[in-house]
Amino acid sequence: MSTRLRKGQAPTKRMAHVWDASKCIACGACVLSCTSTNNPDMMTREEKGWHSVASNIRRIDSVTAQGRPEVLLVQCQHCEDAPCLATCPFGATYMDDNGMIRLDPRMCAGCSYCVTSCPYNVRWFHPDSKLPKKCMGDTCLELVADGLQPACVQACPAGARDYGDLNDPDSSVSVTLRTKRSRRLLENAGTEPKYFVVEGS
Amino acid sequence: MAPADLHFQVDIAHWGWSIAWFLWFVGIAGMGSVAYYFVRKAALSYVIFGSLAIGLVLVVSHLGRWWNLPRTLWTMVTNGIFNYSSWMIIGIVLLSVHLLLTVILVASHVRWLQRIGWLKWTGSLAKASAYLIVYAFLGFMATVYSGFLLTQASGIPLWNTSLIPVLWVVSGSIAAIAVIELMYVFGLIESSVSTLAVRLGLGLDAIKLLAVLGFLHVALAYGSAGARIGATAMASGEYALMTWGGVIGIGILVPIAIGLYTVLVKKSKPLLAISSIAALAGVFFLRAVVLLAGAWEPLVL
Ligand code: SF4
Ligand code: SF4
Ligand code: SF4
Repeated sequence: MSTRLRKGQAPTKRMAHVWDASKCIACGACVLSCTSTNNPDMMTREEKGWHSVASNIRRIDSVTAQGRPEVLLVQCQHCEDAPCLATCPFGATYMDDNGMIRLDPRMCAGCSYCVTSCPYNVRWFHPDSKLPKKCMGDTCLELVADGLQPACVQACPAGARDYGDLNDPDSSVSVTLRTKRSRRLLENAGTEPKYFVVEGS
Repeated sequence: MAPADLHFQVDIAHWGWSIAWFLWFVGIAGMGSVAYYFVRKAALSYVIFGSLAIGLVLVVSHLGRWWNLPRTLWTMVTNGIFNYSSWMIIGIVLLSVHLLLTVILVASHVRWLQRIGWLKWTGSLAKASAYLIVYAFLGFMATVYSGFLLTQASGIPLWNTSLIPVLWVVSGSIAAIAVIELMYVFGLIESSVSTLAVRLGLGLDAIKLLAVLGFLHVALAYGSAGARIGATAMASGEYALMTWGGVIGIGILVPIAIGLYTVLVKKSKPLLAISSIAALAGVFFLRAVVLLAGAWEPLVL
């Protein structure tokens, strides 16, 4: 387990997910690869609250005013000022030295406070362990620790996903964010999310 | 038209009926402790104890991983982790101390316990004014906590208003007054105390009515899309019957009508019993409807 940051400590890295909406073909490979990698037991079971596959990536389908179908993929934003971390009564939710918001299952009593505190509605309860699941899953964390990319990034056929360190100006995510137009979700919520939606060049 | 991203918290976080009962019991116990400062009756201390005990059992049994609680607390203590920014942990501490002080209060009222030499201190301690002031303050804070618990859940915009702790304190006071009136119905307190309680209850009912309407108005007129979704569910949607019938009709208008009859015409025990039960039901409905109507801010409209 990587280092748990204590109050007032800053992470050495600021790992972030980037999703390029302009490249995404809405194939759903990332959603399913997340489940098959991190929660394979959920491949044939539904997330009852979302009425969808139980994945750490939530897919929102909509139609624009002009009648064009649109998709938004949401996952844990690894907020720099994470409300779920502020409210978790037992300290089960924490930030590690990579700036990732993590869960220590030993300390979780399943109170749901992190779920109601997350403005992005990205946590879901595993029906057996009753743990509030979210990105990153345990296996993705192992992949990353081994120097690989998370499952969703590896699975994407359109190259629409990326993961890297915002503190490193030469990282691919930093370069993308410098050169392309992007936005963050619920910018006004004060959460300082580290999930970026690229909208075009 | 419903937004593409519409989710009520009860379907995912599962803060539903059992949490509503928990909040209700905490309201009764909390503001009941304030009332105890003025009405120092054994029956009231038993009600406070019962409410706290049932409320705590409910909230612990609602935990998805209640069986992990000892390990959770052990890991917290051994690793020196205490998240004092969480209203839930503040509440756990408050309610634990409150329960302890309530046990002392109850012990001071039980005659056979007072005959046991080493327990006599409970009798003298529970009579001390300073003790009762601290006790009332803790009860007040427990009620406030149960409001801030929701306020701090920043995923649910309907709850992100300090009107909730205010509503919880006002309605908790109404619940405590209802308990006192029921005690009068059962012949456990004097008529003069109940008359005063009815008058006070009338004022609090009027404040509660304004606060509930204010809560809805603020969310509908100035709230974000998520707050408006919740308030609409309360005012004209799925939960409208619970709001207008349960919270306002049964919970406020019935007690106001009976209260006015009691003050202006005559006092009737059966009517006071109805009014107290209606008021208690209304306090419960308020907590339930606010919980059930809580929805996330849609990320896509
Ligand atoms: S997106 Fe939600 S779960 Fe993730 S860090 Fe932010 S508040 Fe926590
Ligand atoms: S469900 Fe677990 S991680 Fe979430 S707030 Fe409760 S104890 Fe913390
Ligand atoms: S795998 Fe890539 S292209 Fe497919 S839905 Fe996910 S981000 Fe979009």
